Amino acid sequence: MARKEEPKIQPNNDLEKKIIEAFEVFDHSGKQVVDVREIGTILRSLGCCPTEAEIQEVILATENKEATGNIPLLNFLPYMCKAMIEHRFYPASAEMLLAAFRYFDKEQRGFLTKEKFAQLMLEEGEPFTQEEFDEMMQTALDPVTDTITYEYYINQLMVAPRDVYNIADEVELERKRIEAAAPKKRRASSLLRATQI
Amino acid sequence: MFSLAEGCGCVSFRGGRRARSMGDDSSSCRSSEIEQEVPKKLSKRLLNGECTMKALAPFLKFWKRDTVSMTKAERTMKAAILIQQWYRRYLARMEVRRRYTWTIFQSIEYAGEQDQVKLYNFFNALLSHMRETSGRPSSERTSRTASVMEQVFSEESDEGGGVDETALPKHSRGPDLEFPLQRKDIDLLIEAFRKKKHRLHPKQVAQILKEASQMLKRLPNINVATTSISSQITICGDLHGKLDDLLVIFHKNGLPSPENPYIFNGDFVDRGKKGLEVFLLLLACMLAFPGGVYLNRGNHEDLIMNSRYGFIREVHQKYRHNAERLLKLIENVYRWLPLGTIINNRVFVVHGGISDTTDLDMVRSLERDKYVSLLRPPVNEGASPAEVIDKVEWKQVFDILWSDPQSISGCVANALRGAGTYFGPDVTATFLSKNKLSFIVRSHECKPGGYEILHNGNVITIFSASNYYELGSNKGAYLKLCGNSLDRQFVQYTAAVSRTRRLTFRQRVGLVESSAMRELHSHIMTARRTLEATFRSMDLDQSGFISISDWCYAMEETTHLGLPWRMLKDKLVRTDPETRRVRYMDTFDVPTNKVGRKSDTQTVVETLYKNKRSLEAIFKILDKDNSGYITLEEFSEACQLLGKYMPNPMTQEQLVDICRLMDINKDGLVDLNEFLESFRLAEKSLHEEEHTLAELQAT
Repeated sequence: MARKEEPKIQPNNDLEKKIIEAFEVFDHSGKQVVDVREIGTILRSLGCCPTEAEIQEVILATENKEATGNIPLLNFLPYMCKAMIEHRFYPASAEMLLAAFRYFDKEQRGFLTKEKFAQLMLEEGEPFTQEEFDEMMQTALDPVTDTITYEYYINQLMVAPRDVYNIADEVELERKRIEAAAPKKRRASSLLRATQI
Repeated sequence: MFSLAEGCGCVSFRGGRRARSMGDDSSSCRSSEIEQEVPKKLSKRLLNGECTMKALAPFLKFWKRDTVSMTKAERTMKAAILIQQWYRRYLARMEVRRRYTWTIFQSIEYAGEQDQVKLYNFFNALLSHMRETSGRPSSERTSRTASVMEQVFSEESDEGGGVDETALPKHSRGPDLEFPLQRKDIDLLIEAFRKKKHRLHPKQVAQILKEASQMLKRLPNINVATTSISSQITICGDLHGKLDDLLVIFHKNGLPSPENPYIFNGDFVDRGKKGLEVFLLLLACMLAFPGGVYLNRGNHEDLIMNSRYGFIREVHQKYRHNAERLLKLIENVYRWLPLGTIINNRVFVVHGGISDTTDLDMVRSLERDKYVSLLRPPVNEGASPAEVIDKVEWKQVFDILWSDPQSISGCVANALRGAGTYFGPDVTATFLSKNKLSFIVRSHECKPGGYEILHNGNVITIFSASNYYELGSNKGAYLKLCGNSLDRQFVQYTAAVSRTRRLTFRQRVGLVESSAMRELHSHIMTARRTLEATFRSMDLDQSGFISISDWCYAMEETTHLGLPWRMLKDKLVRTDPETRRVRYMDTFDVPTNKVGRKSDTQTVVETLYKNKRSLEAIFKILDKDNSGYITLEEFSEACQLLGKYMPNPMTQEQLVDICRLMDINKDGLVDLNEFLESFRLAEKSLHEEEHTLAELQAT
């Protein structure tokens, strides 16, 4: 079915550029849509740390209503910009992660047994698939003692640039600066422009 | 940086849906409070593992404080989710790296193929240009380049007449095959290839090649295959010299026979190290098991492609004294390879794909042996009648060997590869209904899982070379069509390599990624001059830094690789964290570790050199007044033409430099010997480089 050729969305600032680039890695057709199943990966590649439930939210909010199963950049871009400015899906700090591990380590031994950890990860929270768990065990598990020494493991997971949030902050700052600099009578129209997604 | 009024990203446990947590809600927002409480020094010590009960106190308090509002189950869930979301993010980042690494390899590979095509367009232009400007009769002009073709056409008649060709000299230590070949010879061959101890004697190699081309000559342009006897058929895609993969397939699926027929869909050689073994084994199987093996020609069954992608080098290395002879015989096999196969009048198996102009009647009726190499352009009028090649017909063959499917409708020229088309689902549908076929099976593109189904099941891509780009990059697969309904069954595999232990996903990604980055680096270096100039023009305050956007723009504008430069930037340049600008000269720094795949990218001189067989022809063409010498003018004129076709045209001074370099005796003129010598020297240094790399790889 013939669709009118849609003009390519142009980024207006660094934040949009970053989001568009992450999006395009998964856009195989070149038509500025991605499969819904890739959204989680896209979000995480930007540096966000959403839960599975949050990903579902994003999908619901941005999915193409006529042809479900894909998400157009047209919906995704404004949603994400807003989310980044609001610091949603912000990754918890290493301390929080450590606290979470420690919570399960009742005797404070500094490690968790494989059985306990498997039971937790496969049954609690938003459970891992067996594949995800096996993959994690390859790096997390100490094969000699069959335990997970989580303090060392956390360091491995620690590649956490919060770039996208910093960029979002700057973009927001810039926008506020421009707004503040504008004379009062124009504020309404610029407000309209800002909310016009 | 948190604002307590807004949600802080922690999931609320109310009904499983994330609810925005308010500041006074004692549950989720504690995390943000705690964040601000923990002093920076403490967090550092915690990270370093210096944990004391005292240090833990605030955290313990945090969990305990909520006994009123959070049940144990809720706390457990919250903690578990925290760990899970962290790990999933880590995993996702690996996945993205894997994705763009793939893109790098693919775009460089295709850009290389594009160069190759451009180079041949250049030769053609050179031919016609020189022919026009000189007063010589055209036959002599074309004869030189056509002579390559003619040498191939002539049958070997001087085999040392009278001597039994198949008898091996007494001292030969390789496997002793008996012709006509049978199952036992195939077993011998596989053993010999696997053990790698003694090579097959060149006489037997020649025998296999000759008998194969005799057999192939009798076949039609499009093979006709049927499952009436066997009730099933197996289709394999690109093998690219990976003998291990072929042996895995035979091991899993059995040797070919009329009850177990195979279709091999082209690209048997190049890139992998055992192209010759793969090729000979396939031909031998075809000879030993008639009706068991169908071979389709791929775009790499072409000596011109082979000169760039490694097969010619392989033949020279393995059969130093007989290489030229064997290559001629190989070329003869290539031109007689059928172009496709149709199974049960329903399935069209071809290497590349189709286009909106593909006409099977024309494909069936053309003389396929005219196309010794697909990249030889159609020769213009004025040449002898035997060499005139119809452009329309040529496009037919090109399209079925070079095209790729696309997901959007329509049919456009395949700019990425430089040849063939991109064909959409509508083109496929039209083609299938017009020819009363059910679906198409093709190869030509590497896929992570070894296969891919497109166009609503009408097009299947099957790729049989695992670890194609790098160890761990992809699986290989073969397709079985079973029963009358031709049910599809895919079998995936990875050829085991003994020296690797089981790698984690992260290690695999890392390995493939560093290999890709090295390739990318080589590619970048060929464009260095242009890039540097662009960077400097953007660096207005001469600080050595430019903005991220500018850098990304410059990279794409120059290389046209379509890569996600923003994601790659941290691997290529250093970014100043405060100003967030990049130090652009870092782009040209060499990546640190040296082990890995040798890159294919080349300078103009190297590319010219690779086509050694045509060098003499080039010389004669350049030597317009037929004096036996090339002057600087003649050479630079030719190179100006070259400039139009090559991606990084040389400047006038570079041309002069090259010419001066070639003028070894410094008399201001280059004669044929100097010309050839300078290329020989270039090859010598290339070989030395490869040798060192190979040594490093072995360690």
